Amino acid sequence: MTSHDVTLEWPDGRTRTIAVREDETVLEAAERVGIALPFGCRTGACGTCTGRLLEAEGTEPGDGAGNSGGVDIEAAFAHRRPPRAFKDRHREDGYVLLCIASPRTSCRIAVGSSVHTELMENPWK
Amino acid sequence: MSDVSTPEGVEPEHDHEHHHDHEGPGYATPQAAIEESEREKLAYVMSLYVGTDVDAPDFVSVVDLDPDSDTYCEIVDRIELPNRGDELHHFGWNACSSSCHMEGLERRHLIVPGQRSSRIHVIDAADRRNPELETVIEPEEVFEHDLSAPHTVHCIPDGKILISMLGDADGELPGGFLELNDDFEIEGRWEPPGEIEMNYDYWYQPRQNVMVSSEWAAPKTYYPGFDLEDVEAGNYGQRLHFWDWEDGTVEQTIDLGEEGLIPLEVRFLHTPESTHGFVGAALSSNVFHFWRDDDAGEYRAEKVIDFESREHDDWDMPVPALPTDILISMDDRYLFGSNWLHGEVWMYDVSDPSNPRRADSLSVGGTFGEIQEVQGRELAAGPQMVQLSLDGERLYWTTSLFSSWDEQFYPEEGERGSVMLKADVDPRKGTMELDEDFLVDWGECPEGPARAHEIRWPDGDCTSDVWQ
Ligand code: FES
Repeated sequence: MTSHDVTLEWPDGRTRTIAVREDETVLEAAERVGIALPFGCRTGACGTCTGRLLEAEGTEPGDGAGNSGGVDIEAAFAHRRPPRAFKDRHREDGYVLLCIASPRTSCRIAVGSSVHTELMENPWK
Repeated sequence: MSDVSTPEGVEPEHDHEHHHDHEGPGYATPQAAIEESEREKLAYVMSLYVGTDVDAPDFVSVVDLDPDSDTYCEIVDRIELPNRGDELHHFGWNACSSSCHMEGLERRHLIVPGQRSSRIHVIDAADRRNPELETVIEPEEVFEHDLSAPHTVHCIPDGKILISMLGDADGELPGGFLELNDDFEIEGRWEPPGEIEMNYDYWYQPRQNVMVSSEWAAPKTYYPGFDLEDVEAGNYGQRLHFWDWEDGTVEQTIDLGEEGLIPLEVRFLHTPESTHGFVGAALSSNVFHFWRDDDAGEYRAEKVIDFESREHDDWDMPVPALPTDILISMDDRYLFGSNWLHGEVWMYDVSDPSNPRRADSLSVGGTFGEIQEVQGRELAAGPQMVQLSLDGERLYWTTSLFSSWDEQFYPEEGERGSVMLKADVDPRKGTMELDEDFLVDWGECPEGPARAHEIRWPDGDCTSDVWQ
């Protein structure tokens, strides 16, 4: 089974690169090698496992919009189930649910619980 | 293992004498609960790491509440669960006063669901200070019934357990109810699927053959956090459902309208004959009274408490109070609750339930609280889940709402951890006073700061017991 190098980057600067098979999710691969990533429902509904795609091999910068710097999520990941936790704006901004996403190319992703907190703001503030 | 079939050999620490002439757990009447109970000495509290970078499962804290103990205000035991990612939220007993005529049944097992994981844990609390995990129902078993996101747990007659479920297996609508048997196995769905769309909390009055349920939203809506767009899109609830308790079907639905957005905790009065109750509408910052109009043969609901939004220099829009939890004292005289965003616990005299009268409030924590630290510990959030002693003299609360919502409104709650605080209540005068000697700090947990949510007493409390 083909695998891809996925580099996980935490806000404190820590990085780890793991080989993720095309038939497993990033979360499953991280667990397989003993790396703790946040998660909740594991069904694509809660967003707790949210990561942000920083760079994907073979995709041209500038062919999309938002935080991902133009990296196309759909080209970089296959989803096992619909990413229900996301609104369209989240997908366009390069967010990815690591519990249901399997890589189709090598890539770098921002991970850790703080990525999830970017999804929703305090609407009154 | 069933609590019905093996009552012998286990002696839970029932400190109170069983003067009442009935068999089974709990107290014969709400008044008996007040008179016969001793002061609460332990609390079980839902404690969470979900959604943080702490690599540890959520846990159930056993908190020492005995002022004469050396470990007063400490977490004396932690029941760790096997998996990360649960988001422990609400929980309940396998038996309560509604089973008090059921011979041989014991209030012994805690049913502890994971809100995000849909995993259901059964904890044996025969040893009140050192409970042990006994059984785990895995999410896949729950999903088989096309349900997810377990919320409120009540025991129901015959040793069974009913859990409100907020979503289908995919985290979408409709939700429903999952029934467990007295061996803690899934019996199936309690109601015919499709009776309701949204679900949240529920309470029942068996003598009136009625159950009432409230509405939050689909799990996929509230899990990631609160989004005003969802309010505009009608993705949040505003209805109350009144059920035929025996049939498990909805008899009547009341739309509370814009003033009743996100009706959360719903409570009937404890008196088993009563048809009166209250529900807090968190987003609209109102409390509704509901009751059965016998002449009309149906339930009615009316807004009886309205908390005004407040202006704050650092916020762009007026800040709503967000009353997220309410409870009724065991004597049915007071309604207590928490305004999580404002930072307030309040008590209303509800002797006349249609005209609640503000008795007292405490301004503590939150965005506007006058008291912002206790014993030098800064408060990172407002009062949230509340629990009251059976005699009505001590009110306790924790500060976490839901991990993703905490992150939006009180980002420091995750960094510092939650606290549990207490007020001394004088039910005669209708006053509350913060007990500054009392502080339980989840910021000091060994693996890192944890959140703290719902609170229960071993021998019955104001939010779990129902009378047959
Ligand atoms: S863990 Fe819930 S969406 Fe991934």
